[in-house]
Amino acid sequence: MPQMGVSVAEGTVVDWRKQPGDWVQADETICEISTDKIDTEVPAPASGRLVEVLVAVGATVDVGVTLARIATDARPGEPHSSENGAPPPAAATALPPPPAGPDAPVAAPSRGSAPPRRTGGAGGSVSRRYSPVVQRIADEHGVDLDEVQGTGREGRVQKKDVMAVVAARGGRVGSATRAPDADAAEPVLHIESPYRPGAGASVSGPYTPPEGRPLSRMRQAIGVHMKQSQMTAATCTTWIEVDVSRIEIARRKLAITALPLIARCTIGALIEFPLLNAWLENDVHTVHEQVNLGIAVALGEDGLIVPVVRGAQDLSPEGLSRRIRDLARRARSRQLSPDDVHGATFTITNPGQFGSMMATPVIAQPQVAILDVEAIVKRPVVVTDQFGDDAIAIRPMVILGLSWDHRALDGALAARFLASVKKRVESYEL
Amino acid sequence: MATSSTDVHIGPDTTAPESPSAQLTPDDRVGLLRAMLLMRAIEERAMNLYRQGKVPGSFYDGFGQEAVSVGATWAMAAADRLCVLHRDLGAHLVRGVQPSNILAQYMGREAGITSGRDGNVHFGDYRTGCVGMVSMLPDMMLVAAGMAMAFKLRREPRCALTWFGDGSTSRGDFHEAMNWAGVQQLPVIFVLENNQFAYSTPIRQQFAVNPVERAAGYGFPGVSVDGNDAEAVFEATRVARERAISGGGPTLIEAVTMRMHGHGAHDDMKYVPKALFEEWRQKDPIDRQSARVAALQIDVEALRAEVRAEVDAASAKALAGPMPDPATATDRLFHPRDAEQILLEDGQAPWSGFGPMGARP
Amino acid sequence: MSEMTYLRAISDGLRTEMRDDERVLLMGEDIGVYGGAFKVTDGFIEEFGADRVMDTPLAESGIVGTAVGAAVVGLRPVCEMQFADFVSCGFDQIINVAGKMLYRQGLPVNITVRLPSGGGFSGGPFHSQNPEAWFMHSPGLKVVAPSTAEDAKGLMIASIRDPNPVIYMEHKNLYRRVKGEVPEGSYETPFSARVAREGTDLVVITYGAMVHTALEATEDLDDASIMVLDLRSLVPLDEAAILSAVHDCSKVVIVDEANQTCAAGAQVAALIAEFGFEDLDGPVVRVASPDVPIPFSPTLEAAVLPSVDRIREACRQLLEY
Repeated sequence: MPQMGVSVAEGTVVDWRKQPGDWVQADETICEISTDKIDTEVPAPASGRLVEVLVAVGATVDVGVTLARIATDARPGEPHSSENGAPPPAAATALPPPPAGPDAPVAAPSRGSAPPRRTGGAGGSVSRRYSPVVQRIADEHGVDLDEVQGTGREGRVQKKDVMAVVAARGGRVGSATRAPDADAAEPVLHIESPYRPGAGASVSGPYTPPEGRPLSRMRQAIGVHMKQSQMTAATCTTWIEVDVSRIEIARRKLAITALPLIARCTIGALIEFPLLNAWLENDVHTVHEQVNLGIAVALGEDGLIVPVVRGAQDLSPEGLSRRIRDLARRARSRQLSPDDVHGATFTITNPGQFGSMMATPVIAQPQVAILDVEAIVKRPVVVTDQFGDDAIAIRPMVILGLSWDHRALDGALAARFLASVKKRVESYEL
Repeated sequence: MATSSTDVHIGPDTTAPESPSAQLTPDDRVGLLRAMLLMRAIEERAMNLYRQGKVPGSFYDGFGQEAVSVGATWAMAAADRLCVLHRDLGAHLVRGVQPSNILAQYMGREAGITSGRDGNVHFGDYRTGCVGMVSMLPDMMLVAAGMAMAFKLRREPRCALTWFGDGSTSRGDFHEAMNWAGVQQLPVIFVLENNQFAYSTPIRQQFAVNPVERAAGYGFPGVSVDGNDAEAVFEATRVARERAISGGGPTLIEAVTMRMHGHGAHDDMKYVPKALFEEWRQKDPIDRQSARVAALQIDVEALRAEVRAEVDAASAKALAGPMPDPATATDRLFHPRDAEQILLEDGQAPWSGFGPMGARP
Repeated sequence: MSEMTYLRAISDGLRTEMRDDERVLLMGEDIGVYGGAFKVTDGFIEEFGADRVMDTPLAESGIVGTAVGAAVVGLRPVCEMQFADFVSCGFDQIINVAGKMLYRQGLPVNITVRLPSGGGFSGGPFHSQNPEAWFMHSPGLKVVAPSTAEDAKGLMIASIRDPNPVIYMEHKNLYRRVKGEVPEGSYETPFSARVAREGTDLVVITYGAMVHTALEATEDLDDASIMVLDLRSLVPLDEAAILSAVHDCSKVVIVDEANQTCAAGAQVAALIAEFGFEDLDGPVVRVASPDVPIPFSPTLEAAVLPSVDRIREACRQLLEY
C-alpha cells in the first residue's frame, strides 16, 4: 500500500485491474486504491507476471503492506506457472547476495582477493550475462554473442573471446583509437573537472516530436463543455482567505476530510444566498431551494467527472462525506449512472489536495457559480484577542475561489456569499 | 593566589577619564573613538539586516568589546601581522577594510572579503596583513606564533598579534602556542579577550587559575588591562610590541571585558546574571572614549552622524551588490603554480607614533 | 645519475631545494642534532644551521600551525611528523587552517607535511598507519605518495615548490629497501600517474609501497600481460591515466595498503564504475588491509597487510573470470 501523503496511514483496495497470471508492464496500472486523502491508481513497480493478489477488493490495510507479488524473472509469452504446474519462480525480486556483515570475522582478505561469484539463479549457460566491454565490442562488430565460445569462469564470454571472433573475421577492434583523454596534453585533474562531459554529448539535433494521438472521448466532451461555458457566461472570480482551524479539529474528530465540512458551510451559505444556487439558461433564471451539490472528481489524466449529491442541504458532514466518497469511488470505477451526474445546482472543485494555491474554475453550465477549494497551508496571520491586542499566530489557512456569472449576479453578492462561507467555517461549531 | 579576572581594578567611569597612555595625540583619541563607533554602527546595521533575513546563518558581534580590537590594532605597525577573532571587527577597520565589503561579507555577497565562501567575521583581508580566524579556537595562536617565528628567523623588526577568548585557554593549542612562543622567545602578542563567558560557560567553569598568570610558567610576562578602555589596551599593546621587536619575546595581555550580546544573534543570554550585565553596562567603552574626546572640545554627535552616514552608504552599496555566481563555487581550491605568489601585505597603521606612512618612528 | 636509496633520495630532494631556495626550512621533532627518527635530515643542521633545521617541541599541532603562519609571511616550511600516525595531533591545523585558507580568503599556504607511513616491520597500531585518505577527503590539500627513489626526490621538490599544502606520504618500508638511479641536481616529478609496467590483460592500480608488492606479485603470472599503474599523486588523481589503463586492460585490481573502507582505492573504484563502465570485462577487485588497526605481532601483521600472494591470487581469479 503506497503512502499517498505523509499523514496517510492506510488505504483500501478499490479494484484490481490485473489478475494473477496477467503480464504487467512497469508503470502500468495494476489496481486502484482509496485513502482518506486521495483515490488513485497504483502503477506496477516492475515488469513481470502477477503471481498473486494479497489484498482483496474492499479490504483496508496499513501503508507498506504488500498488495501483490510480481515475478520479475518471468517473460511475456511464457506460460504462467499455474498453467503448466511448474514450480513457482525462485525469486520475486532479483536481490543480490548479501555482503559480508560488519560482524563477519576479518573477511576482507578473502573479500578482496577474489572476484565475487554469482550465487543462486540460473546456470551460466541458461542466461548468459556479458560484461559492458564485451557487449560494446559485440555491438560494434555485429557479433552474435550466443555464438561465441566463452573461456571464462563457467563458460563466461571474456573480452578476449569476442576479440578473437572479430580478429578471425579479419576485423580490428578499435582499441587505441578510443582511449579516453589519452591524447590530452594535460592530464585532466580531478579538481579542474569534477564532471566529465558525456562522450559525444554534442548539441542536440533537430527535435522530432513523438507521434500524436486523438483526444479521448471524455477529454473531447470536457473541452466542449468548458469552451461553451466560457462563451456563454460572463465569468468573474472572487477569492477569500479563510482560517480553517476549527474545520481541522472537526475533521480529525470525525475522521473525515475537510471537503465535506467546507461543503456543509457552503450549503449553509447557499441557503442564505439562494441566487447562487441557481441556473441561468437562455435568460431563464431558476433559483433552487434544494441544493444538488456537484463535486468534481479527477480521473487521473483521463479527465474529470462531476457526480452530484442530491438534497445536500439535508445531509450532515458525515453524511456528505459518505456520499462524496461513494460517488468518487463509483466515478473512478466508471459505475456512475447518468442520474448521478446531472442536475447539480452548485459545484465544488477541490484541486487543493495537490497543494495548489489559487485557481479560476470554469462554471458548469447552466449553474451560475462554482467554488474552488485550494490547499490548506499553515501561515502566519494576525489574530486579535479578546482585549483587542494583536499577535501573530500560525493558522491553517485556505483560499476559496468563487467563479460566478456576472449575468446572474454582481460582485457584491459574490463577496457576501464568500464572507458567509468564511464566517461559517471560522465559527464552525465543534 | 589566583585572582579572578573580574577582580581586576577598573576605574570609576568619570566624565573624562584620565588617559593611561601618554603616546596619543588628540587625533589618535578621535581615531580610536571613530573606529569604535564605526564597528558598533556596522554591527548594529548587520544585526538589523540579519533580522530582515538578509544575513544567512547566524550573526556574531563584539558589542561592548570594541576597545579591545581597536585599541590593540592602533599600536600595530603596517608591516606587523594580525590574526583576527570574531569579536574584533575593529581590527579590520583600523587596518583599512571597507565597511561595504564587511556588510557584503555578512550577507554572503560577491563583494564580501571571502566572496561568499565564509560568513560573519570569519575573514581576513590579506591586503591588510590580516589572517581570518577559523572556528576551532585558538588555532590562530599558533599561526601568529609561526609568523613571529618567520620574523625572528629573518631578523625583521616586526611582530604578530592575535586575539582569543577565555574559553580558548582550555584547549591544547593555547598551550602549544604559549610554550612555542616562550621556548623560541618570539615577537608575538597574545591578547586574551576575557569577556566572562565562552558561549554560556562562565570563566569560573573554564579555569581554576587566571590564564594571565600562566604566562610566567611559559617564561614571559602576562598583564591585565581594562578591556573597555581603548587607550589602556593601546598602551599595553604598544609596550608589548616594543618588547617584541627589541627581542624581548612574547607578552600575554588579558583584556578584561564583557560580551554584552549573546554568543550569536540566536542567543538570549539568559545565563548572564542581571547584576553583572548592569555593572558592565555602566562601563561602555564608547561612552568612556566619547567623554575623553568631548573634553577635547570635539563634537562627538557630529562624529556619530558622520559614522552613521558612512554606514548608510556602505549598507546601500552592499545591498546593491550581487550574490556570488554559483558557477564559481568550486573555484580557487588550489593556487596555480604559475600564478603570482600571494603573501600577506601591509595594512594601515594610523597611530601618530608611526608617522604618515605607518612606518616605525 | 647515481644510485641511492628511497630515503637518501628524499634527503637529496630536501637538500637540493634548501640550497636553491633560502625560504625553505625544516621543522620537526628530533630532526636537527639527531637527524630525524629515520635519519632523513642527517647532517642537515651542520649545513643549514639550527634556524632552518628546527628541532621543535613535541607538538604536532604547533608544528603545522606555526608552519602555516611562517608560510603566509613568505617562508616555505617542510614539516616532519615523526610518524604519519602522529599527524592526528596536528589534524585540525591541516584540515581547518591550511586546507581552507586559500578557498576562504585567497591566501595560499605553501607548506609540505612529510608523513612517514606504512607497516611491515612490527610497528604496531601507532607506527604503521597509512592515513592518506583522511587528507584526500578534505578539500584544499594535495596528497602525493612516491614509490621509487627517483620520484621521491622529484615529488619532494615539486611539493615544496607547489604553492598549496601538500601531504607527502613517504613509506617507511621503502626507505632502505628500495634503491634506484636518481638524477643529479634539481628536477620535478609531475603530480600524475606512471606506468610501472606495461600490460594488456589486467591492470593493477596502486601507489607507494604496494607498487613493489604488485610488481612482484604479477611478474610472470600465467603468461598474462599485466600492467601496473603507479598513481604517485592521490590529489590530484590522474583520472585520464586510470581510465586509459582500464580501457586498455578491461580488468582491474586496485591495491591499498591502507584500511579498505574509503581508502584511496575506493575513490579509484568509484571513478572506474562511473566513467570506465563500458570498458570493464569483470568486477573491479580491491585488495587492501581489512578495517582493523595494524597489529604488532609479525604473524598478525602479515595476515592484515596485502601480500604478494593475496595480490597474485586476486589477479589470477580475475583473469579467469
